Amino acid sequence: MMNAATLRAEAETLARALPAMNMKARASNAAHLGAAGRKRAGTGEQFWQYRQFAQEDAAQRVDWRRSARGDELFVRETELETARTILFWCDPHEGFDWSGTPTRIHKADAARILMLASGQLMASAGERIGVLGSGRTPGFGRAASEKMAEDLLVRQESHFPPPPRTQPIFLIASDFYDPVELWRERLAPLAARSSEGILLVVTDPVEEDFPWRGRVKFSRPGEALFRLFGRAETIRETYREKFTSHFAALEQLASGMGWQIVRHTTGRPLQETAAGLKVALERFGARL
Amino acid sequence: MMLGPLLFNAPLALLGLVALPVIWFILRATPPAPQDVSLPSLRLLDDVTPQEETPARTPWWILLLRLLAAAAAIIGLAQPVYAPGASPGEESSGPVLLVIDNGWTSAPRWGEIRAAASSALDGEPRDTAAHLLLTAPRALNIDPADRLSKSDLPARISSLDPVSWGVDRADALERLDASGINPGRILWISDGLDPDTAAPFARALAARAPLSVYAAPPQGATAITGLSSTADGVSVRLSRAETGEEVQPYVSALTLDGSALATAEAVFPADSRTASASFDIPAAALARISRFRVTGAEGAGRVWLWDSAARTRRVGLVSGDAIAQPLLSDVHYVRKALDPFATIIDGELSDLITADPDAIILTDIGQLPPEQEQALATWVEEGGALIRFAGPRMATQADSLVPTPLRHASRAIGGALTWEDPQSIGSFPEESPFAGLKPPEDVKVRQQMLARPDPQLTSRTWARLRDGSPLVTADARGQGMLILFHVTAGPDWSDLPYSGLYVEMLRRAIAAGRGETTADAEGTYAPDVVLNGYGRLVSPDATASPVKAAEFADLTPSESQPPGLYRGPAGTRAVNAAAGYTPARMTNWPPGTRLLGDAEARSLHFGGPLLGLAGLLIAIDLLVALALAGRLPRPGRAARAGLPVLAGIMLLQTPPTAEAQQDYGLRPDPYSYQVSPGGGAEINVDGDIDKATEAALEMRLAYIPTGNDSVDRATLAGLRGISLILYRRTSVEPAEPHAVDLETDALDVYPVLFLGLGEDTPAFSATAVERLNAYLRNGGALFIDTRNGGNAASRNNFEDLERVLSGLDTPALQPVPDDHVITRSFYLLDGFPGRYQNRQLWIESSGVGDSSERRGDGVSRLIIGDADYLAAWAIDEHGRPLYTVDGGDEQREMARRFGVNIIMYVLTGNYKEDQVHLPALLERLGEGEGEPARRPDLDNLLDTSPEGGPR
Repeated sequence: MMNAATLRAEAETLARALPAMNMKARASNAAHLGAAGRKRAGTGEQFWQYRQFAQEDAAQRVDWRRSARGDELFVRETELETARTILFWCDPHEGFDWSGTPTRIHKADAARILMLASGQLMASAGERIGVLGSGRTPGFGRAASEKMAEDLLVRQESHFPPPPRTQPIFLIASDFYDPVELWRERLAPLAARSSEGILLVVTDPVEEDFPWRGRVKFSRPGEALFRLFGRAETIRETYREKFTSHFAALEQLASGMGWQIVRHTTGRPLQETAAGLKVALERFGARL
Repeated sequence: MMLGPLLFNAPLALLGLVALPVIWFILRATPPAPQDVSLPSLRLLDDVTPQEETPARTPWWILLLRLLAAAAAIIGLAQPVYAPGASPGEESSGPVLLVIDNGWTSAPRWGEIRAAASSALDGEPRDTAAHLLLTAPRALNIDPADRLSKSDLPARISSLDPVSWGVDRADALERLDASGINPGRILWISDGLDPDTAAPFARALAARAPLSVYAAPPQGATAITGLSSTADGVSVRLSRAETGEEVQPYVSALTLDGSALATAEAVFPADSRTASASFDIPAAALARISRFRVTGAEGAGRVWLWDSAARTRRVGLVSGDAIAQPLLSDVHYVRKALDPFATIIDGELSDLITADPDAIILTDIGQLPPEQEQALATWVEEGGALIRFAGPRMATQADSLVPTPLRHASRAIGGALTWEDPQSIGSFPEESPFAGLKPPEDVKVRQQMLARPDPQLTSRTWARLRDGSPLVTADARGQGMLILFHVTAGPDWSDLPYSGLYVEMLRRAIAAGRGETTADAEGTYAPDVVLNGYGRLVSPDATASPVKAAEFADLTPSESQPPGLYRGPAGTRAVNAAAGYTPARMTNWPPGTRLLGDAEARSLHFGGPLLGLAGLLIAIDLLVALALAGRLPRPGRAARAGLPVLAGIMLLQTPPTAEAQQDYGLRPDPYSYQVSPGGGAEINVDGDIDKATEAALEMRLAYIPTGNDSVDRATLAGLRGISLILYRRTSVEPAEPHAVDLETDALDVYPVLFLGLGEDTPAFSATAVERLNAYLRNGGALFIDTRNGGNAASRNNFEDLERVLSGLDTPALQPVPDDHVITRSFYLLDGFPGRYQNRQLWIESSGVGDSSERRGDGVSRLIIGDADYLAAWAIDEHGRPLYTVDGGDEQREMARRFGVNIIMYVLTGNYKEDQVHLPALLERLGEGEGEPARRPDLDNLLDTSPEGGPR
């Protein structure tokens, strides 16, 4: 597992390679009244500025209290407050913090770098980011991304965290090797809260290929059980079939909830997946 | 138990081989250890049951590996021994063939061989006949077909003696074939040597009948195989057949009548087959040695006859020249030419005649004192070779000791006033000892002595020029010879000394005395005395025949050419029985041979290696199994882990060489440059080296301590200062200066010595001054700074110098002229300032003036000044000047430039006077004065003063 500093450095490198996140490509100003202002005039509760009345302004927008002090009419503007909250979650299972060959990056590390990179992009775009089940309120700006890096590295308890009360975007990273039904159970509360979520599936090339031959004793990290195959090559076809159908089922589950799936294979460049992740996130903004 | 040539000490263990199929079956049934793999996605396979659980088979090559290991272990435990000669021969009937090696190698144990041969028929039926086959070939060989009865055999055997040449087993086999006998049993009494011929011979014998071998190899030093004469003696090489223990035989050097002159011990180290014994014998005594023999041992191989051709000759050398410049004198060429094959003695002629050398060489001595001439004539009559070289002195007057009357003039060929070209060497007459040499075309003779026409001149001429005039003439006087080269021994008159021909001519000329002329490939040599098989000198019998000189090089001793001394036109030549012989024990007997005596068969015990092989195979199997199970560390990671360890080891081993150069005392600091003298040349010398070696390895300045501490400190500081300046500014990179003791240290390794005088400097001893004189004569340079220039009244006062260095061979001195090369050897200078200004610098007057008038190369070896130059150069350890200088920093800089010029002058001599530098100098002069056209005559430029020049 990488330490927080390395993780942050890797994520920053990755984030620099991507264009700035824009969640509001076509988003309405009215959507999602939130707490943080956008440092510009728009829909919000906080006062932003008085400006002179223009012809196209409705009469009820005139701030009579201000206008009464002089001859001119003034319009009171409030600060634009549109902020999305994105909550991240990284699978703490031992099998996720694993890599098929010692030189390759661990799956969990790849997932964390990807999440932190998109988190940093969003935090600098003014969105609020946080880690699901960390107990901290989501925040924005540089501090938030640092907090997030810490939270991602804190080993959480193994059960899936309960959903928050807000309506955030979820980004769930795992290898999703548990049965689809189990995932449906876990994700149902989140899906009920928000129809916006991304499943980041990180797999190792070894897991996709199943390159073993001969007598092989397989064991699952974190579990004491093992299985012995006399001829591993005979099971390969079955395995590949299972693998494909499992992720097909997972995709079905996600689309049923309205969520998206982004897949990453460790060993491939992180930029590709990070770009894919960014597109997926921006699509949420656009859909509003 | 025997199995072919294999013998098993524990044959029951072979039963274990039965277990191999069982092991094979078990190994096939047992699956290999599974590969251990962790896989998170195993969850996907939770509900899958594998269709086929037949485990993978052990790969065939692992199976093979394990079976081999098991087989090797089992066979190894049976302790097999490869012993080809160990089986006993079976009984047989029929005549017994007795084969006897009777070459010189059998001589040391001939008694044993004789006894073994006599008892060959013991235990056989009464009517069994014996046949005799001797392996050393003779002209009339004993026919193997002759039957010898049991009673005849001992008498026949006791009449046999070893011969002094080697055996020829192939020839013996042919003789056996020719005789057509069919032996029932063969007994070969062998010297047990020379496996190259013995092995096929033994196989051929074993193919005919059961073979028994009785071997009696010589013990201790087998033979004297060679001799090499060194500068101060001679050493003989010995070799032996078997290694093992240390043997220390003695070798005696004997005269012709058999009295021992010297004895030397040779030591065979335990594992060596060769040794050498060195004799440290004076050259005169060396001439009396005629043979060497291993003390207390018999055999022709243990005697080495020494002929006259191999002996170094003693040559006396007398020169008419003074030996002021040894490398330029005539004697140098003669010495270089003769060094490899003659011992050279120097000295007065009278002493030389008493020493009685083989030849005396006189270079350019015209007239000898009458009593010496008389003594020399007597010496020549008694067999000496007097070789004389012509020269200017001989051209004016010659004494009676010349082979032919001479004209009192020399003839210059190809000079300015002649119209002849220099002559090359024409031919060597047939009867001269030079016949057969090839004169090179490019050797030209420019001047020669001419002989007066004389009827006998033709017969006395050994070498001619193209035009027929004699180059070398010779005449016999009594037993000796007078030889005159009509040119100088050096290259003054001819190119001859440059050529290899000169060496060859001299070599043949010095052999001309005592009636022994060296003619390499001429004449036949008749056997004078020969060796018998026991190594005793006997007179040759009728079969010994003369040998042509040309055949000596590749002569193998045989009956017609037995080892011995052969006398011929150029003295005696020796044929030695064991020349170049390498003895080796025969161990490779054919299977089934019965071995008797000292014969030993090579036997190999296979038990250990086989068990080792089994262990190795098991280890490989373990590694393979681990690798298959994925338990071996990855090579990449291992290498990465090993790298720092390796780097650490290399760091530890890197020797701290850099520090060795750092003790110069001039640390880099802000005031000095970043380099210190001596940092450039790294010479790796391990351990302490003595001063002379140190000085020879790196150029350095040196000074003569006066005993006055403050003066010596200033001198040392001055030398350090000038060394640093040289190091920074020039390609001269001197190392730390040395203080030299004139009486003990080697002076020749220093290019220049500095002497800074104090007021109370004690006088140097006579030895010191004598050595200093020799140093200056041989090309050294001395810079003397009297340091009293501060006293304006003491102009040119060298009284102190007279006192301190009384006896110094001081030539005439004179002040350095303005146009001297010192003023431009590196910098262009117009004065020689030191700590004091306007002082005179004195050099030898021979170093001044036109180069054609100077003596030698015209470089002054003595430079004397009084301006306290050393103080002007002196710096402290931080590179800061130590003493004040009259004219301040500018004058100090000028003093330093003068120092650089002095060192350049000492190192390069008159090189800078060379006109090659004229254009560059002219350009610089022209730039400085702005009107280069003012100097029309380039040739006179360097002779006239440069008048300062740009500074």
